[in-house]
Amino acid sequence: MTEKMCMVVSEGTFDKAMMPLIMGTTAAATGTEVHVFYTFFGTKLVTKKANPKLPGMWRLFTGMFVKKMKGVGIGNYNEFMKQAMDLGVNFYACSTTMNLMGVKESDLLPGVKVLGAASFLKLASESKTTLFIG
Amino acid sequence: MEKDATLDAKGLMCPMPIVQLAKKIKELKSGQVLELLADDVGAKEDVPAWCSRTGHQLVGTEEEGKLLRFYIRIK
Repeated sequence: MTEKMCMVVSEGTFDKAMMPLIMGTTAAATGTEVHVFYTFFGTKLVTKKANPKLPGMWRLFTGMFVKKMKGVGIGNYNEFMKQAMDLGVNFYACSTTMNLMGVKESDLLPGVKVLGAASFLKLASESKTTLFIG
Repeated sequence: MEKDATLDAKGLMCPMPIVQLAKKIKELKSGQVLELLADDVGAKEDVPAWCSRTGHQLVGTEEEGKLLRFYIRIK
């Protein structure tokens, strides 16, 4: 059976946005089935309007980070997200948080599924690795 | 070392050498040898780790200053 890996992302800043994509694309490139669950402030990362910035004062340097990442082949957040999807990484939005934050299913990026905690816990219990990014 | 194809991942940083490697492998047949060029310091450990996880065989590694050459035999 294919090995599984799960991640939970609870923050929506640029650093928290990139980490699951770096880990997720690498795991997918290794043949692992990857599931990433976005909750609370992470939820906006899987919407069409996603444009994450670095936290606090670092916010001003986000553009510089993106430029550097482009230089080493990673590209911007949306390009990287698409690449992860092409590699088969599965993305989920937490159904409760969507309600709390006013995110509608039509706001989500194509391919992102809505999931509840019970379904995520089932995936996590089947996974060898589960990471919390928040 | 004899090779059937080369993937130039110079200038790319983690995770891109591995992501490109996984893509390239699909174009090759079992038994063929792929040469991977990389200069990301992380690749030194990442490529052997990827090989041991995926079952492709790392048959050689060469270092030329910052440049790393990996030879991978497709399983």
